[in-house]
Amino acid sequence: MSPAETGPATARLTARALTLSYDEAARPIVDGLDLAVPDGQVTVIVGPNACGKSTTLRALGRLLKPRGGAVLLDGQELSTLPTRRIAQAIGLLPQSPTAPEAITVADLVSRGRQPHQRWWQQWSEADERAVTEAMDRTDVTALADRAVDELSGGQRQRVWIAMALAQETDLLLLDEPTTYLDIAHQVEVLNLVRHLPGRTVVAVLHDLNQAARYADHLVAMKDGRIVARGRPGEIVTAELVRDVFGLDALVVPDPVTGSPLVVPAAPTAPTLPSAREARTP
Amino acid sequence: MTVTEPRDAPPRRARPAGYGLARRRRASFLLHRRAGVVALILLALLSCACLAALCLGETTVAPDQALRAVFGRPSDAEFVVGVLRLPRLTLALLVGAALGVAGALIQAVARNPLASPDVIGVTHGAAAVTVTAMTYGLTSAAALPYLSVTGGLAAAALVYLFAWRGGLHAGRFVLIGIGIAVALRSVTQLFLTKGDHQIAQQATVWMTGSFNGRGYDQAQPLAWALLALLPAVLWAARAQRAVVLDDDTATALGVRLGRTRLGLATVGVLLAALATGAAGPVDFVALLAPQIARRLTRTAQLPLLCSALAGAVLTVTADVLARTLFAPTELAAGVVTAAVGAPYLLWLIVTHRTGGRA
Repeated sequence: MSPAETGPATARLTARALTLSYDEAARPIVDGLDLAVPDGQVTVIVGPNACGKSTTLRALGRLLKPRGGAVLLDGQELSTLPTRRIAQAIGLLPQSPTAPEAITVADLVSRGRQPHQRWWQQWSEADERAVTEAMDRTDVTALADRAVDELSGGQRQRVWIAMALAQETDLLLLDEPTTYLDIAHQVEVLNLVRHLPGRTVVAVLHDLNQAARYADHLVAMKDGRIVARGRPGEIVTAELVRDVFGLDALVVPDPVTGSPLVVPAAPTAPTLPSAREARTP
Repeated sequence: MTVTEPRDAPPRRARPAGYGLARRRRASFLLHRRAGVVALILLALLSCACLAALCLGETTVAPDQALRAVFGRPSDAEFVVGVLRLPRLTLALLVGAALGVAGALIQAVARNPLASPDVIGVTHGAAAVTVTAMTYGLTSAAALPYLSVTGGLAAAALVYLFAWRGGLHAGRFVLIGIGIAVALRSVTQLFLTKGDHQIAQQATVWMTGSFNGRGYDQAQPLAWALLALLPAVLWAARAQRAVVLDDDTATALGVRLGRTRLGLATVGVLLAALATGAAGPVDFVALLAPQIARRLTRTAQLPLLCSALAGAVLTVTADVLARTLFAPTELAAGVVTAAVGAPYLLWLIVTHRTGGRA
């Protein structure tokens, strides 16, 4: 694991007093959130279900308009920038992207070049190079002519990541990129994401251990607010796990990487109601 | 202009297989090779259909005489081909091509093969307004395009209005569209029964989508309108590439999805309404043509050029069959296309999974 620079890192992408909701009338899902995404690092957002982590990511990628506050790219509000300009700086892979029937791998990956192309410039040397590199890096070159819907889940996810990489953006946002994958493919995808030189990555993960292992910068959310942020080794503690997930756990060093490893407390018989009530008011 | 062939390509090329590249200075275009081949085959089929349309009928004309008449050379068949058949064929060609492209665009926007202008009420809107105007005595050919376009756009706006719930869900869009289509059909029926006998009869023939007694009067305004829409169609061919992806991915790729879809749908509705104004609702061509074309080209999106050609082949063939099948009794081309299209529609509904993509 490469040591992340500590101290005040620069941040191209920031959120200021961000308030988000899907429905005007409803209680906001995210309320007054401030966030700076450190450049060149892997930021991972974790938190229990429905804590607003995916919603935050969608707002960072201008898929969701803020109800209050703003997301800033290089100091400019996203909502004032042309979407094409944003697409040249920020790539985003949604949680469950869908490919058109029968599209081939190379065809799909090449569509990542969309923001760099024009009606009369449909394929350039730069497009060729970016797509070749993206497919090499994600190891899907051999699958280039296969139909995407014939692939396994792990292969398909690599193809989608390749498409996002071909977009050649400095910032890459990934919404639960390991969902639906078995453990080997999860590790494969995370290793891939971890070793993207020069890119700033923001990923939402639901597995705290994976987050602690792969993040330079960890952001823990609960009920639409940030509870803790910082390097995983500094912030992942038994208290944080209890506070954020409501889980009694032991935090020990990961035997392989030394990053914090969360081990849930010994399973008990169906919980005594009194004990549970005492813990979660 | 150079077209790079796969043989001289380096072994690991990233450009999606099956695409040829045309490059000229800073401009470059990706061309789907298989779609090119399919277009040529469809063009050949279309030529055969056109020749059949000129030669077959009450009096059979030899192909060479028919071609001489078309190119303005002295021929035995100047009247039959030049006056009776060629104008009608021209109209059928234009109507078919317009319907093919219209179907492709609307199916692409709705991401649903069921969402064709003749299923979701666009052509019914065009028909309702046209028939209403006819019963009030407005029957001039020049007014038809305006009437049908008004009707088509109004119907599309209605569908959009009712289907919109902070987003456009493909399944709801189609269901609402079918509902609107039924409602508009009854409006048309109401005016048919209210109106004058003679006009009602005229309107009824128009309603089935017939090329009988039609020709350059209808073809000319349609041709101009199609020519005016050509740049929009060229734009649409490119814009479609991103729209076939899901909304989030397309937006992340910098596509202004709302505007793009509105643009694609508008072009589609205009084409369908113009075609309907010129020949009445020739049912199911817009539904069938894009899907036939896509199954042949195996492209990820609906191929517009091939959809236009497939639409033209279907319409011209339908008109030939309509004229000759039960001669001397003439059917409407719309009846023939419906005979093919209705079973296909049923099959689509039975096999289609909800929320699927076009």
